Amino acid sequence: MTARRLPSGGSTIDRSRPISFTFDGAEVPAFEGDTIASALLANDVVGGFRSPILGRPRGLFSAGTEEPNAFVEISEPWFEPIVAATMVDVVDGMAVRSRPGVGRLRASPESRPLEHRHAHVELLVVGSGHDGFYPARDAAGRGERVMLVDQHRTIQRGAGGDFVAEGVTYLTRTTALGLYDEGYATVLERAAELDRLWHVRAKRVILATGAFERSIAFADNDRPGVMLAYASWLYHVEHGVVPGSRAVLFTARGGAYGAASNLAANGVEIPAIVDVGMTDPDADLIDDAEVLRGWVVSGTGGDHRLEAVHLEGPDGERRTLECDVLLVSGGWDPNLALWRAIGGGVRFDDDVHAFVPTEGPPWLSVVGAAAGEVTNDAPFWFVPAEDTSRHFVDFQRDQTVADIADALGTGLRSIEHVKRATYIGTAIDQGRTSGVLTAAIVNAMLGEHAGAQGPSNARPPSVPVAYATLAGRFRGDLFDPIRTTPLHAWHVEHGAVFEDVGQWKRPRFFPRAGESMDRAVERECLTVRNAVGAMDASTLGKIDVVGPDAPAFLDSMYTNRMSNLAVGSMRYGLMLGLDGLVLDDGVAMRLAEDRYLVTTTTGNAAIVLDRFEEWLQTEWPELRVYCTSVTEQWAVVAINGPLARDVVDAVGTDVDLSREAFPLMTFRDGQAVGVPARIARVSFSGELAYELHVAGWHGPLVWDAVMAAGQAFGIEPYGTEAMHVLRAEKGYVIVGQDTDGSVTPADLGMDWIVNPSKGDFIGKRSLRRADLVRPDRKQLVGLLPQDADAVLPEGAQLVLDEAAEIPMALAGHVTSSYRSPALGRAFALAMLEGGHAMHGRTVFAPLRDRVLACTVTSPVSYDADGARRDG
Amino acid sequence: MAHTALAGRSADLARLGSVEFAFPTQVDVRVDRGSVFGFPEHPNTWARAGDREVLWLGPDEWLVVAGSEEALDVVADLEASLAGMHRSVVDVSANRAVIELAGAGRLELLSSACPIDLDPRSWTEGRCAQTLFGAAQVLLQERQADTRLFVRPSFANYVVDLLLAGVER
Repeated sequence: MTARRLPSGGSTIDRSRPISFTFDGAEVPAFEGDTIASALLANDVVGGFRSPILGRPRGLFSAGTEEPNAFVEISEPWFEPIVAATMVDVVDGMAVRSRPGVGRLRASPESRPLEHRHAHVELLVVGSGHDGFYPARDAAGRGERVMLVDQHRTIQRGAGGDFVAEGVTYLTRTTALGLYDEGYATVLERAAELDRLWHVRAKRVILATGAFERSIAFADNDRPGVMLAYASWLYHVEHGVVPGSRAVLFTARGGAYGAASNLAANGVEIPAIVDVGMTDPDADLIDDAEVLRGWVVSGTGGDHRLEAVHLEGPDGERRTLECDVLLVSGGWDPNLALWRAIGGGVRFDDDVHAFVPTEGPPWLSVVGAAAGEVTNDAPFWFVPAEDTSRHFVDFQRDQTVADIADALGTGLRSIEHVKRATYIGTAIDQGRTSGVLTAAIVNAMLGEHAGAQGPSNARPPSVPVAYATLAGRFRGDLFDPIRTTPLHAWHVEHGAVFEDVGQWKRPRFFPRAGESMDRAVERECLTVRNAVGAMDASTLGKIDVVGPDAPAFLDSMYTNRMSNLAVGSMRYGLMLGLDGLVLDDGVAMRLAEDRYLVTTTTGNAAIVLDRFEEWLQTEWPELRVYCTSVTEQWAVVAINGPLARDVVDAVGTDVDLSREAFPLMTFRDGQAVGVPARIARVSFSGELAYELHVAGWHGPLVWDAVMAAGQAFGIEPYGTEAMHVLRAEKGYVIVGQDTDGSVTPADLGMDWIVNPSKGDFIGKRSLRRADLVRPDRKQLVGLLPQDADAVLPEGAQLVLDEAAEIPMALAGHVTSSYRSPALGRAFALAMLEGGHAMHGRTVFAPLRDRVLACTVTSPVSYDADGARRDG
Repeated sequence: MAHTALAGRSADLARLGSVEFAFPTQVDVRVDRGSVFGFPEHPNTWARAGDREVLWLGPDEWLVVAGSEEALDVVADLEASLAGMHRSVVDVSANRAVIELAGAGRLELLSSACPIDLDPRSWTEGRCAQTLFGAAQVLLQERQADTRLFVRPSFANYVVDLLLAGVER
């Protein structure tokens, strides 16, 4: 007769519902309501676990969240890499394997169904025992919204009675993972059908988290069969299970006698109670049980489980007793992990011989056993011995009293240093059974008072939680929003290959059947250069800027003057940081005397608006300017190519498209395809170009009309890759590609856009800093590889002397590089030290397998005199 | 024919007990003293003004919502009534898609990815708020029988997919 299920009893199990699961491949019968741990114990599986580092046999040590040994992987009916066997209810057909303290993830991401939920309450109570239940009930009675969570399967106080009060959300099998500032808490609910991560915002939080039973360190105290005393009581009361047939109690606390007498009353033989202190028993002495006062357990014997305990008396006498269970109780320690992780203080109380809470955040309180309402006798932490190398303190880290002594021997004094030297408390049980013990041993070894140093700090999450649970539904396509333009469906239908630009999906190119990316991009480029192409430019950021001071405001935000722009005209602008370095670029359209619409790069739309608001609200509140984001009000179709005018004309518009009436860098409000449209003559390809700006919901209509009307002119859609090639041929930079936050307008050869005479603008002062006017700064140049077919890798470094010794002096780097169909050769843009004065010289790009010689040129390699822009 | 970001999702929206309010009129107003004009002054509330609804977006910002194709009228009315004041009146009708969520479970569903207090005891008719649903900025408006969710069209399908994930668990 060993560990077994009794014929009756067990408050949480349903004996009419037998189920089974597998543990390390062997079938284990259970009842509905069993935890994995209780079912194992009922079947005399006391051990079966291994310690992670030393590989020592380990067994069930506790019945709760403090379990340091019995960790399992669940593979059916859901996957969970590692969890304490004491914390999971058995499900029929469940497949469980023991895991030595370290979980393994699966390649496939399946897990239990899970969701997140946000909740706002006046009161969150953690722990539903007597001390937690009544404050919850009372607050609900006052009409407050209350959430009461408990890690057990039932509410602890009033179960089965009339405990449900209006306004209380009861969550069982639920663990508070962490508390954060101002009453924000994360709470993990392991509901029957799914895991639910609650984000709770509570005005007040009460911790009724109880206490953990304290272990005692002695030789071979980790042998399977050694168990916390109260755990044996729980297994009996909740599951009708006793942990063995012959049990010895080793205690420093009279209050633990009851655990032994409970077992005795249920047929377990109790040969002895080893009472290290002179304690006052809480239970009648058991007939036949010898009480050995002042004795200690000096060691244990047995193979893979406990078979005997070795005892030592106050005068050095020695005895050995056969037994298969050793109950241990060093006392009670308030469970203050959540309290301390949010900054609550503790002190050692000499009356209760435990760390108790002191001051904490005003919204947080601790009650009951967690607050120090525990009864301990004089503590006893570890059994002195010459060899303490098997006196285990942290079972999961395989750390012993000797390891602590070693750490102190190297000169460490702080408990936090000892923690980091030994890793005690850093395993997934967070040292719930070892934290206070370690502090006490450190204090004792340093000759300090028991409370001189408290246990090392705990941090959320309080129990292991899978990343999948934290991710919730935000995985796969929902991991991050996928933003699409009004024309997205058309792009998908027409086989676009997309690229991610921030959160946006933009068509990169539109391959025909069997066409490679290079071929498709070449075709798209030539179509724009020789006929006409259409591109979805809807992602550009757009901001409406209005007010009497809008012209002055934009003069301050951009390097060039926007105040003298004529209504109906538009102007390219550069925006600098306070450091004088290029931040963004865009085009400002003057809609009215007091109104502009400015565009930003796709990725900077929100950043630029925030910047406008910041300056208006914090620096220049006197300026009468309002900004409104209109990015998605407008769909934008860019039509580029020598035949662009013909296409817009064929689409149908009331705007006079003639060259004289509608010059470059102007816009007209009118209609296109019968809907209101703003038509702008702005080109990012160097070709004749029009942009049609229409309400987002008219985008598909207008795009379809452009593609239909353009058919006669050979129109084709083109993507961002062709757009990049075309603009690079013209030497137009892309902020964020050719610039990297270290580049001035002058570095880009764009001094022309900096107007020093117009008054102040952001970054102006910095442009005069000595470092920003050095002639040897990296400057934008064009590169023509002397092997015309060699496309330089973007990011390649440039050197002046290919024969120099490594490490070579680096002179620059490639920022953009393509094959140009118009030039019939490879070309690149680069930032090169002193590059503006180096046109015609040769530089070298040392690559892994060869060195590419390149001729430095102007960044403008196509249509340098701008003859093509008017068609 | 005009085409919203959620055209083609009506079956999905129906499963959510929702419909799209397509082609609404939306006009963003910024002015220092909106209360003078009967705009709601209390943060995160909305009010009716005739057949228009005015949502508080900030201390100096409101969104006026009306039926389809009223943008020109709304802009003209606002420009007239705010004439002489420093103001911004911008037609943003196409700048947000609008989903009307109905059904008793709608607030619980929104609470799966929205951090603000949507408990029916505090989130009542007349409330509105700019907040997040998942990683998308949204504007919520609690009406008599439904909750309107305003979202940038580029995020609209993400929001619908996230809502569907919430009912399909």
